[in-house]
Amino acid sequence: MASPKSHRHHPQPNGDLKTHVPKKQKVPAFLTDSDLQSEFAHHDPSVARINNGSFGSCPASVIAAQQQWQLTFLRQPDSFYFNGLKKGILESRAVIKDLINAEDVNEISIVDNATTAVAIVLQQIAWAFAEGRFLKGDVAVMLHYAYGAVKKSVEAYVTRAGGRVIEVQLPFPVSSREEIVSEFRAALERGKVDGRKVRLAVIDHVTSMPTVVIPVKELVKICREEGVDQVFVDAAHGIGCVDLDMKEIGADFYTSNLHKWFFCPPSVAFLYCRKSPRSMELHHPVVSDEYGNGLAIESAWIGTRDYSAQLVVPSVLEFLDRFEGGIDGIKKRNHEAVVRMGEMLAKAWGTSLGCPPDMCGSMIMVGLPACLEISNEADTLTLRAHLRESFGVEVPIYYRSPKEGEVGPITGYARISHQVYNKEEDYYKFRDAINKLVGTKFTCKLLHD
Amino acid sequence: MERDDRHGSRNGNCDPCQRSCKKARLPDPPQPISDPELRSEFSHHQRGVARINNGSFGSCPGSVLAAHRDWLLRFLQQPDDFYCNSLREGILRSRTLIKDLINADDVDEVSLVDNVTTAAAIVLQQVGRGFAESRFAPGDAVLMLHCVFQAVKKSIQAYVASAGGSIVEVELPFPVSSDEEVIAAFRRGLERGKKNGRRVRLAIIDHITSMPSVLIPVKELVKICREEGVDQVFVDAAHAIGSVEVDVKEIGADFYVSNLHKWFFCPPSVAFLYCRKSSGLVSSMHHPVVTHEYGNGLPTESAWIGTRDYSSQLVVPAVFEFVKRFEGGIQGIIKRNHEQVVKMGQMLAESWGTNLGSPPEMCASMIMVGLPSRLCIFSGEDAQRLRSHLRVNHGIEVPIHYQPPADGVDGPRDKDGSITGYARISHQVYNTGEDYFKFRDAINELVATNFTCKRLLIE
Repeated sequence: MASPKSHRHHPQPNGDLKTHVPKKQKVPAFLTDSDLQSEFAHHDPSVARINNGSFGSCPASVIAAQQQWQLTFLRQPDSFYFNGLKKGILESRAVIKDLINAEDVNEISIVDNATTAVAIVLQQIAWAFAEGRFLKGDVAVMLHYAYGAVKKSVEAYVTRAGGRVIEVQLPFPVSSREEIVSEFRAALERGKVDGRKVRLAVIDHVTSMPTVVIPVKELVKICREEGVDQVFVDAAHGIGCVDLDMKEIGADFYTSNLHKWFFCPPSVAFLYCRKSPRSMELHHPVVSDEYGNGLAIESAWIGTRDYSAQLVVPSVLEFLDRFEGGIDGIKKRNHEAVVRMGEMLAKAWGTSLGCPPDMCGSMIMVGLPACLEISNEADTLTLRAHLRESFGVEVPIYYRSPKEGEVGPITGYARISHQVYNKEEDYYKFRDAINKLVGTKFTCKLLHD
Repeated sequence: MERDDRHGSRNGNCDPCQRSCKKARLPDPPQPISDPELRSEFSHHQRGVARINNGSFGSCPGSVLAAHRDWLLRFLQQPDDFYCNSLREGILRSRTLIKDLINADDVDEVSLVDNVTTAAAIVLQQVGRGFAESRFAPGDAVLMLHCVFQAVKKSIQAYVASAGGSIVEVELPFPVSSDEEVIAAFRRGLERGKKNGRRVRLAIIDHITSMPSVLIPVKELVKICREEGVDQVFVDAAHAIGSVEVDVKEIGADFYVSNLHKWFFCPPSVAFLYCRKSSGLVSSMHHPVVTHEYGNGLPTESAWIGTRDYSSQLVVPAVFEFVKRFEGGIQGIIKRNHEQVVKMGQMLAESWGTNLGSPPEMCASMIMVGLPSRLCIFSGEDAQRLRSHLRVNHGIEVPIHYQPPADGVDGPRDKDGSITGYARISHQVYNTGEDYFKFRDAINELVATNFTCKRLLIE
């Protein structure tokens, strides 16, 4: 997508920002293979790094831009605070607003990560219970595969305040969107039992473990039909991994990390809050002198800290321009590559994928051979560590408990990611490591010592 | 690219660094940092600016910034490995060093957070829950100093007032001439707080107030709080560590928080929140950003609040190495900063014919210096505009405080009128006499050219 050049602001040494009025610039050439290698030369070359999903990645040119911002603060922090910071954050918010098709930049706040965004949205729910606007026993619905931190946050802010939590049981492996939609409908029904209201639905756009792309647009629509008060989409993996369009999706709140799939340094995320009377009820939990000026302004100043990861967002657009098709091209190619590699692995191991190709973004779940005897979550952690230490492969493993009556079930799935720095060798290394383990009759029981 | 095994090897053997250290002979005592080395450490500071405001945003030497970059690089190289094998140990090491520095009993009493603003939110949320869960009665009081930092004031409104607590402000005199004045004012405020049988659930006491800046006799005030039955005492010591000696056991508060990026050479940003174990409040404290660590204790919760850059928290050991390069270590730095800021403050007051806002013993590394009345600083806005004018036109960075004349009291005066404006000058290791002479001369020039703050309205 075209990125307006007027957003390319660079910090000047005295802390002021000067807008580049573009001369007729030569469009930078696409990155060559060796440029690309150079951008990610700081990655440990001995590791098949097929887990971009957990911590993301950041190219060297964006790190350099971040260091410039840091230096600008360190040189003359007072001047930076008075003249540079607010403008820079607004710039980043404006870039994000365009990327995600939000109506208004006031709907965009920048926070550290999706975990923080979740705390902000849930804090507001807790207050509604405390003030009696929600009744004890009113319901929050979330997916069974919601991220661990989100579950804890719901416990801390909703359950503790008197709300009841209903989990949507999703099948895994999953074969169609319809399976997800019908489970979701069923959960909403359970929520409305005894005349209680469903006050909040927390829906992942891309679940973490196991990873599946959820049909959020349909689920949000169902929430509206069923009178759910607030719909919050947790899209930690969203931007840079799947398509985002706030107006299309229609949620009240939507959050995504920019350091996972959008090449930002750790860490930065946006929280989109659709304009509504409710917007002013959201507050950043770290209260500063900006309290009451709206979440976006509050979040832009939460005391002295390093805001450089938030300020560097416009620089990422320049990086994306060096790829054919920009971020859309990257998404498309990542998706195609991860599906291809997933299918290659499943074939090599005689296993299967966790979902059909059209239900994944840049990550996919690949079944691990049953003979590895992954029998609980602890096994997945020790196997993962073993793969890291002994084979130089970084990949998270998911334990899927077998259902009754299943014969020779696959109980372990690897979540492989594909990002621009990955090569096929990374996945061959993984393929061969597993084949070796199988060949030497390795089982997870051996790791129990 | 070799893996860095310095911080504990993964195959379970003991730390190779420890093994080799046992065999090494004792190193020679290092030479104190030389002037050129010192200049080099702060060479990233903007030239041509008299940077006499360390108090607001602090400062960080080049060698600590390099260590900071190293930590980030380690994460970027292999983040999963970093998360599994380095992060927790690194945070624990930082917490342990701080625990020793502040004389806390137990490392479980020390959590690392971004800044004091965050720590205040954590403490106040806990108090807010006391009201929300009816353990505190509506109208029970929270006491704070009138000049409390604005962010803390807002935090009290957000978490306490909104939950039904009442707020009592204690006016402290300024200028101030003795600890006794502060103690008397505090006692009066506390009496008001307890009026009509109200319980005072929390007292927030600054160790060093921000604007105007005064070193507060916290130990005495905490004692008074205990005598008067205040439930919880929270010392906001944003400026303390690296500018005064901190002994949390001696001070005796339930909570004590300080920024390490202000006066303790850490990069932005990192602060510690000390929660005394014996207060029994530790288990009710939570970081507002909830993760899977929820319920595992505040230090553990704070050490993982989702993916982010924890380098500023991890770099604390490098700072300890840095301060060792100064004669007398951090105590030496504290002592010399204090002596210099008093000396420079007295020099300015004498040159301008004005006063100091407090006696030398009631300041640490910052002091308030009266500005000539002829500048006509008549509001907070005047003070802000004068500050900008000094930055833009004179290359001086110094915050200005407007002190309205007290009703019916003859305030401090110079030969031309009432002194209503004060500059808060700081002294940190990178400052030189020239910084303050530049300020002296700029103000003298403004006075000589009949400048007043009215002129800034037209600019």
